[in-house]
Amino acid sequence: MNNQGKEDYGDIGSEDFPDEFQCCVCLDIMYKPVVLACGHISCFWCVFKAMDSFRESHCPICRNPYNHFPSICRLLHFLLLKLYPSAYKRRERQVAEEEKKYGHTSPRFDGFSDSLSDKALGVQDTSPHTAATVFNMTQRRDSSLIQDSSVNEANMTMIPTTSSQESTTNMAKQGDSMVKSEVKNEARKQILMTDLQCTLCKQLLYRPIVLNCGHVYCEACINNQVNKVCRCPACQSVHPNGFPNVCFVLEHFLEEHFPEEYSARKVSLADQLHTNPSERTARKREQATECSSFPRRAYLSWLSDRGTKFHPAVGCDWCGMYPIVGERYKCKDCVEEIGFDLCEECYKSSSKLPGRFNQQHTPEHQFVIEKPIFQLRFEAVPPEHHDTGSLGITEEVMVSNSSNDTSQDEVDGAASLNLSPDSLQDLGNSIALPVPFNNPSEDQEYTDSGT
Amino acid sequence: MVDFARVQKELQECNRDFEVSGIKVIPKSDANLAHLLGTIPGPLGTPYEGGSFKIDITLPDGYPFEPPKMHFATKVWHPNISSQSGAICLDILKDQWSPALTLKTALLSVQALLSAPEPDDPQDAVVAQQYLRDYPTFMGTARYWTEAFAMTSSLGVEEKVQKLVEMGFPEALVKSTLVSVNGDENMALEKLCSG
Repeated sequence: MNNQGKEDYGDIGSEDFPDEFQCCVCLDIMYKPVVLACGHISCFWCVFKAMDSFRESHCPICRNPYNHFPSICRLLHFLLLKLYPSAYKRRERQVAEEEKKYGHTSPRFDGFSDSLSDKALGVQDTSPHTAATVFNMTQRRDSSLIQDSSVNEANMTMIPTTSSQESTTNMAKQGDSMVKSEVKNEARKQILMTDLQCTLCKQLLYRPIVLNCGHVYCEACINNQVNKVCRCPACQSVHPNGFPNVCFVLEHFLEEHFPEEYSARKVSLADQLHTNPSERTARKREQATECSSFPRRAYLSWLSDRGTKFHPAVGCDWCGMYPIVGERYKCKDCVEEIGFDLCEECYKSSSKLPGRFNQQHTPEHQFVIEKPIFQLRFEAVPPEHHDTGSLGITEEVMVSNSSNDTSQDEVDGAASLNLSPDSLQDLGNSIALPVPFNNPSEDQEYTDSGT
Repeated sequence: MVDFARVQKELQECNRDFEVSGIKVIPKSDANLAHLLGTIPGPLGTPYEGGSFKIDITLPDGYPFEPPKMHFATKVWHPNISSQSGAICLDILKDQWSPALTLKTALLSVQALLSAPEPDDPQDAVVAQQYLRDYPTFMGTARYWTEAFAMTSSLGVEEKVQKLVEMGFPEALVKSTLVSVNGDENMALEKLCSG
């Protein structure tokens, strides 16, 4: 702990990127950007770490509540990689180090149009294979086959997690040479309009919105769909909790780089639509909340409804619901520490999206219904108790089933708790959470310091 | 594990516009970025005006996903700050923290708290009582505490100026000389005598 301050954290000024592409959490260039429903962007891990394991999460910037961890926006990912290759690659190496340290991986993207990036990311073909790699390789063959047939994501394949040190260092070395060759290829920085096209109207994105699945469309294109549910036309996944806001950072970028085309889009759309697009959206937004995949007011109801099942710090790998409310389906066969879980809705659906953390999940894997770690019983707590230390949790908080054992026999370990909404945070302190990277529960001194 | 890469960026950013904000954050020791010392100027038009308030900052392991722990190292008379411990009652340092906030924005909020006390949600009951029942006395005490605890260095300058003026040097010259030698009284005298 002594030398923390002296470490060199990398040359931040190696490549300048505009403030709008700075992640508000790590204050570095956004890496594997995730766009929240409010339109604000952050890094994959920054969003994940900022999420609340017990309740709905809030956007770090505007505090807009959300319950689903969105998928990475691939369009933005490749845009940033193209615009600021050296800063982005530097982040890639940093994050790879961190991921190695914590033993978790974020989704990796393969299959760029340019071969250089292919090499930088595509570890598997060039690095020496250790036993672990080979093991993963066989699994990958299966999973990529499945993806080819079922996932409508043309050039995305999941690269297996390699635990071999050689491959990681190899990757880092390649990354270094990458940066040098990138500098020579200034032309690569040219962003083409085809990079920023809406897949529905085949035109330049206008008022872009990013869905929970990470796909980007024009606001109007999604609006024009007849069905009430906001569903992604590419991967068919439902966008939960209403209609997303326009991603202003992306919109601003489009306006700046394609001013003529962008205003042309604006004019042509105004002709098409009689009503104001924002009004339409507002209406759509209202409609959409009615048919969200996420039970409306879920957190209130699981607090008040004795029977509601609730899985703190466990997220659904397909829709991203976090924490899972309702039945939790846990994969018996996924070996990754982070596990592979689905919510009830996704389990029943035929969606075959890849896991959120690069798990090597295949359809042959079996699921078990995992019982909630504890069941909740709500009792009205007088409001004046809110800031006291006891917080209305009855005497001893007994949480016995804190292990992430897959055994079904653990059910009896479920503890019964009386909770007020405010006590949840403190409950967090008393439970050894099964999933690493959990959102650190709030400062314990919080209740003691008084207000 | 504190995100030290971010902390370093924050420090650079904060100290870059020190001229504008007057807010400064420095590590307490070079070896550890988890313990910092912040300085905020007392807001103008308040009894804290002219004071320079030091705030002790400890970063918890979860920073920036957990709020930084802050308390006043300088004694201050304010309804929402403990006159004993310096503990601060401010929502963004507790449940309203967001990882998008920074040390600088948090210190700006503390500075704003100095201008806008909330006696109905007190940290120090005695101060809050005084604020509500006897506002003039509160103002007097707050001012006195500012002068006594937050202005020691500037008072020192005044004394030095007075001392040198009494030796027969013109006041304007004394002041400019003191500034040029960073307030060192003896060096100023030497310079005044030689010049």
